[in-house]
Amino acid sequence: MPRFLKEKLFPLLYRHTAAIFCVAATTFALKLLEPNLEIQLIALLFLLPVMVSTVLWGLTPGIVAGLLTFLAFNFYFIQPYYTLQVHKTQDLISLTVFLIVAVVMSQLIGRAREGERVARQREWEATCMYELISALSSLQDAASVVQTLASHTLETFNMDHVRVKITHGKGQSALLVDAPAGTLPSGEPAIELPLKTARENEGEILMWRVQAQLSAEESRLLEAYINQGALAVERIRLVKSENKMRVLEESDHLKSSLLNSVSHELRSPLAAIKASVSSLRSGAVDWDTDARQDLLVTIEEETDQLNFLVGNLLDMSRIESGALKPQKSWNAIDEIAKGVIAKMRKQLQEHRLEIHFPANLPLVPTDYVMIGQVFTNLLSNSIKYGPAGTEIILQAAHEKDLVHIQVKNQSPPVAEEHLTRIFEKFYRITEADRVTGTGLGLSICKGIIEAHGGKIWAENQPGYFVFHFTLPVMLDGALPQYPKDPSDE
Amino acid sequence: MNKEPLILLIDDEPQILRALKTILAANHFQIAAAATGEQGIAQAVANPPDVIILDLTLPDLDGIQVCEQIREWSRVPIIVLSVRDNEKDKVAALDKGADDYLTKPFGIEELLARIRVALRHSEQSLGNKKTIINAGSVSIDLARHIVSRNDEEIRLTVTEFKLLAYLAAHPDRVLTHQAILNHVWGFSEQDHVEYLRVYIGQLRKKLEINPDEPQILLTEPGIGYRFKTSE
Repeated sequence: MPRFLKEKLFPLLYRHTAAIFCVAATTFALKLLEPNLEIQLIALLFLLPVMVSTVLWGLTPGIVAGLLTFLAFNFYFIQPYYTLQVHKTQDLISLTVFLIVAVVMSQLIGRAREGERVARQREWEATCMYELISALSSLQDAASVVQTLASHTLETFNMDHVRVKITHGKGQSALLVDAPAGTLPSGEPAIELPLKTARENEGEILMWRVQAQLSAEESRLLEAYINQGALAVERIRLVKSENKMRVLEESDHLKSSLLNSVSHELRSPLAAIKASVSSLRSGAVDWDTDARQDLLVTIEEETDQLNFLVGNLLDMSRIESGALKPQKSWNAIDEIAKGVIAKMRKQLQEHRLEIHFPANLPLVPTDYVMIGQVFTNLLSNSIKYGPAGTEIILQAAHEKDLVHIQVKNQSPPVAEEHLTRIFEKFYRITEADRVTGTGLGLSICKGIIEAHGGKIWAENQPGYFVFHFTLPVMLDGALPQYPKDPSDE
Repeated sequence: MNKEPLILLIDDEPQILRALKTILAANHFQIAAAATGEQGIAQAVANPPDVIILDLTLPDLDGIQVCEQIREWSRVPIIVLSVRDNEKDKVAALDKGADDYLTKPFGIEELLARIRVALRHSEQSLGNKKTIINAGSVSIDLARHIVSRNDEEIRLTVTEFKLLAYLAAHPDRVLTHQAILNHVWGFSEQDHVEYLRVYIGQLRKKLEINPDEPQILLTEPGIGYRFKTSE
């Protein structure tokens, strides 16, 4: 047991030897000074090594020093010299008093010191606990909680090795952490304790140490450590399951708003189509050509609307799943915008449309179809919210390394708190029943513009509501190359 | 031509087949139908159609494969009809030999127009090719390299004419960016879509009445261009 020797026996020997040496030194000094000193003063001075030994080396060295000084005093200073015999009654009394004083004094000092030691120990325990708790409380995942618990236990209790096993959690493999990290323990663990909270057994902690026995203080502190560790592990687990619940709730909420919105939006055109077709089929009425034509136009328009909705839903699911990858090539923004305007001519006829695209606008690396979709959605939004007869303005400008496009309409201003949220899925300012649409259009725009590396936002300006978006003009850090045509010069 | 043209429909959706059969028969076409790619190819061999209408999603082969296989031995016009609306599939189909495509749902007028173009095109490739092409007030003489509007000559650069001539030689058909770049600038330049943007822009300024609303040189979003004749 070399370690036991080193840690326990050697200090003990050292302390007693020191006490003995201290007494011997005092005896020698007093013997030299004896002719000048009275016997009472010598007795008084002999109390010094007792006090020093008790203060410096503890209770037992103190008592040993007390007994030794008693003997030395008797042997060297009480006549007859160099024997332990005592002839005078007076000397006997002073020796007895000396012995009592030495022993009582060393006891008193020793107790005070012990009390102080206990207080220090308590304070140290409290510091350790505080450090552990504050380290644990800031952690957000089980692995680092377990790691912290293991390393603190290792350090505080002078363990050779600590291993924490977390076995709780359905379907998860057990979490196993060793401290010091990356090493393996040898032999059987000295101490095994469960990591338990009031509700669940979270796992266990295994410790290896040469001195298997824990002192009373150590086991009290260790218990507190393990309780804190178990609580922290439980907290992480509960937070995780709460987060999972929240995500589920949110996606549930999204699904139900999707269903609400979609079922309303899909059913209306279906209802119109069904009504028109069944009227045309029923022989009850003899439809004149105009009425017939009206019904057929309704059917066609509503079919287009359904197709548009399905397209929107598909786009959204592509954006959601991260499958939206723009097929970028060099495109002229004005060409895309004008293509969309030509297609939407009929819907735009109740608004005054103005287009301001400068002639020198650079080509922009874009997915033609996706950016077309952005223009379609922003324009149909402007048509929907801008009252009939008002202006819709499209403008673009080249600003450094991006092209800045604005779609302005004269809809009523939107409250500041809605401005960023209108690009969220299913977010609408008005009630779903009052305006048509799935509430997806703007979020699709956002998805597309962001996939292009641009930004989209909305703003109230005096008299106008403005959608802004930007697109970078460079593709992988390069500008388009233009061909050389000899006859162009 | 007194015989009604034969159209082969390769599509596995019974509703679409039923609707198309009814509509096409009413428009004086003969119809043959196949529900799988293999069947379609077999029918095309057994009874060569004048036009094939092909769905891309088939139970056995992919429509693009069907296109490729038919192209190994036949020049019959193929119109692709599909719910797939991403540009990659459309370009792949066109590059593998399809003449045109339509995305489902489609308007029947559009389909009939595309069928007429396809039929006209196959007649032309049999007989002698037209060298003068008219689009609106613009007339292009491919043999004499003259472009004019209302008998007034329009001056084009060499590249502009080469581009216009290639588009006009395939009237009313979609030409992919790659195909055009490959033909006009050569194989090494076929990724430079920006060339096309520049030159098509220049051509529109010279040819179109209102370059902002082109009537002759139409953009096929994400795919290429189509030269639209007045017919």
